[in-house]
Amino acid sequence: MKLNLYEEKDSNNERVDLYYSKMRPAVRRIIDTVNSDRPTLSGRPADEDLDDGEEIILDPGEIYYLDHIDRKLFAYTGNGVFRIMNTLNACEEMLWNYGFVRVSKSNLINIYKIRQLKPDINMKVYASFDNGERICINRSYKKSFNDYLKKMRGII
Amino acid sequence: MKSRIKEYLIELCCVYTLVSVAGALVNMLAGTETNNWNVIVMFLTCAIATFVLFLHGLFDNVSPLVMIIVQYLVACGLCAVLLLIIGAIYEPVSPRGWFEYYRSFTIPYIILAAFYYYRVFSEAKKQDALIREIQEQSKK
Repeated sequence: MKLNLYEEKDSNNERVDLYYSKMRPAVRRIIDTVNSDRPTLSGRPADEDLDDGEEIILDPGEIYYLDHIDRKLFAYTGNGVFRIMNTLNACEEMLWNYGFVRVSKSNLINIYKIRQLKPDINMKVYASFDNGERICINRSYKKSFNDYLKKMRGII
Repeated sequence: MKSRIKEYLIELCCVYTLVSVAGALVNMLAGTETNNWNVIVMFLTCAIATFVLFLHGLFDNVSPLVMIIVQYLVACGLCAVLLLIIGAIYEPVSPRGWFEYYRSFTIPYIILAAFYYYRVFSEAKKQDALIREIQEQSKK
């Protein structure tokens, strides 16, 4: 995508004009940013107490996957694990345009961070990430996962 | 529950139709004939097999390989009970009859399991290629 930036020092009417051929996720993300609707997740380092830890704003693009364990939601990033004060369903809805798809009852994965998708000898299919971790793609979610990939390819 | 039973009966109808047509074709080609008991056994076997395969939802958390093996063993157990009941009502099934029955049950099961195994691997490969494509396109 070509980016043109114009500096008008005297102007007090800042604006963004966006020309697009198709409303794809990348365009949607720009719109969200301009409208200040870009989803951000705030989390605290998982190894610290909720009250003590400093809250950190997480960019969805940095998250490998979200894991729901014992009614707590954790985001796994390259910089560590963070506890998110949100529900998995809300995150699924919020991060749809950002490559996040549900692959089991407790996992939401970022397809842009998948290094490889490979089945094991026992026929379970795993998504491997850059950080070396693997998440199993549950059979019940196989169809919706496939539909999501096809939808993303169609609109990107 | 009602909808699950309805779904099961519809699947059973489809499975039995396919198996009986396949059986009729084999009989025509081999020049053999079947009898009423064989038809009933075939229907009950289809009912057992469909029921066992219908339980796949219970195995969501185990690997498909374990699911296939467990389902096969459960189906074998239920079929053994069926043969014992038929043996008690009609006439005892000979050892050759047991062997033939399990052979005709096992061979299609292994073929279908192998096909499923192949599908899992080929679908994962396609999905992996799709992810690569999406990742490449998003970088442009």
